[in-house]
Amino acid sequence: MNYIFHIVIMINIYIILCVSTNLLVGMTNLLSLGQAAFYGIGAYIAVLSLMILNLPMIPTILLVMIGTAIASLLIAYPSLRLKGDYFVLATLGFQLIFFTILYNWVSVTRGPYGIPGIPSPKLFGIISISGLIPFLILSSIFSVLIVFIFFKLVHSPFGRVLKGIRDDEIAVLSLGRNVTSFKIWAFVISSAFIGIGGFIYATYVSYIDPTSFNLDEAIFILAALLIGGTGNIKGPVVGAVFVVVLPELLRFVGFPDSVAANLRQIVYGLTLIILMRYRPQGLAGDYKLQ
Amino acid sequence: MFLQLLVNGIAMGSIYALVSLGFSLVYNTTRIFHIAYAVLYMFAPYMILTFYRNLGIPFYIAFPIAILLTIFLSVLMELIIYRPLSRKKSSSTVVLISSIGIMIVVINLIAMFYGNETKILNPNISKSISFGNIIITHSQLFQLIISILAISTFLVFLKFSKFGIKTRAMRDDNVLCAVFGMNINKMRLVLFMLSGFFAALGGGLVAYDVGMDPYVGMPMLLNAVVALIIGGMGRFEAPIIGGFIIGILQAMAVWTFSSRWQDAVTFTLLILFLLFRPQGLIGEKERAV
Repeated sequence: MNYIFHIVIMINIYIILCVSTNLLVGMTNLLSLGQAAFYGIGAYIAVLSLMILNLPMIPTILLVMIGTAIASLLIAYPSLRLKGDYFVLATLGFQLIFFTILYNWVSVTRGPYGIPGIPSPKLFGIISISGLIPFLILSSIFSVLIVFIFFKLVHSPFGRVLKGIRDDEIAVLSLGRNVTSFKIWAFVISSAFIGIGGFIYATYVSYIDPTSFNLDEAIFILAALLIGGTGNIKGPVVGAVFVVVLPELLRFVGFPDSVAANLRQIVYGLTLIILMRYRPQGLAGDYKLQ
Repeated sequence: MFLQLLVNGIAMGSIYALVSLGFSLVYNTTRIFHIAYAVLYMFAPYMILTFYRNLGIPFYIAFPIAILLTIFLSVLMELIIYRPLSRKKSSSTVVLISSIGIMIVVINLIAMFYGNETKILNPNISKSISFGNIIITHSQLFQLIISILAISTFLVFLKFSKFGIKTRAMRDDNVLCAVFGMNINKMRLVLFMLSGFFAALGGGLVAYDVGMDPYVGMPMLLNAVVALIIGGMGRFEAPIIGGFIIGILQAMAVWTFSSRWQDAVTFTLLILFLLFRPQGLIGEKERAV
């Protein structure tokens, strides 16, 4: 049973990551390879807030969101001046710089040694959230809440403008909308919620190190989203469930552990290739990548 | 110390130039952001390992076999993945993601068969020559000579042969080339073969020096892409200049900061170029911004 709880918590975290990333990739057509950086920034800010500032849970979450939003603003502003492949490259560049800093600035982040013993967050300063079931509840509340927020966002006027930018940027521009500011907002909102994913991950695992937030993770988040599908809310959720549950299924098929990790990756890779060829909108998405 | 680092930088830069040139051959002509190129760079050393270490074939025969096999893999990628996508007129993002998919699959296949750990091709410590207080190892010398030879041969062909003219024409406009009766598919095949050749050459030379693991391709690809952007998109001399600049800068970064900050230096450079000079040093002005 604990095993299933663990899987559900991981699914919840990836739902948060995928749904947030979808706002960029699926709604605004901005392919970002830097999502793991915001995930990491969220996690490290959460650690800062819990271990050094000793804040309770809700201020920590606010701090995480604000911190990640500011960091993403700093990245969004320069990268959004670029288009297409160049934007992808810029986000990739920031992702790699972020990882290098995390990894090498040992006096602050403890670098490759990671940060162990992250305390459990305290709700209202009293109720300590630790153990599987409280985390199951916490992560489920957040993932449902965030899915709901993004559902509202997608169907709001704001979301419709983003879709407009995605489908025809010039048309939106000619209607007098400030395209750049909408893109920056999309970037910042998406990152702030990814930060929450980082917070849940850090407190749940209670140990973080830079390798959880490297380029591979960024590619993985993107792959999860694209496998599930982009452009609606259903797609990212399906993607998150798929990438978390699939390796567990492969485990039951009975491959030896030594090749299981590689095999899992191969299945992801093949899924991506086949989907891109025959179904570029993903398993459950409704937007074909452009 | 400065001169020694400069020499190291130039040796590494020649490899960056070589690998970046292979990447730009595909990118400039077909607009495919060929991330799976990283895999070709990593694939060649593993083939050398198989033929040279495992089957005991001499190195100078094993290396060409590995290059041929890498070229074959490169052609396979074009035939199986990229050509159908381009026939369907898929968007560049779809092609990019497919390329990531190929990369993930091949890396993990290699890791499954050969293991995740670092493998060494040449167990002996490389001999070296010293000029005054500058030391150059034999493998560095090989890297420098072979890559410069390959690059200059290619540049001559690019300038004077019919193939070179066609390549430059494809860089400018694929559709127009087809209108004038060029066989685009055949040209693309040749370009993929050449790019596979450059990747294999670079990969083999570096692995002979320092060994390899299944993940060496990605960092090299990233450096090659940065070299391409610094040099400038659209011209084939550009990645060569960019490659040497990066190689030397990284060596200098070791001198001023420490080797751990090499990547940060490279990618800060990338961001600066993207922001302030997206066409690169000698590239044509384009639609980057």
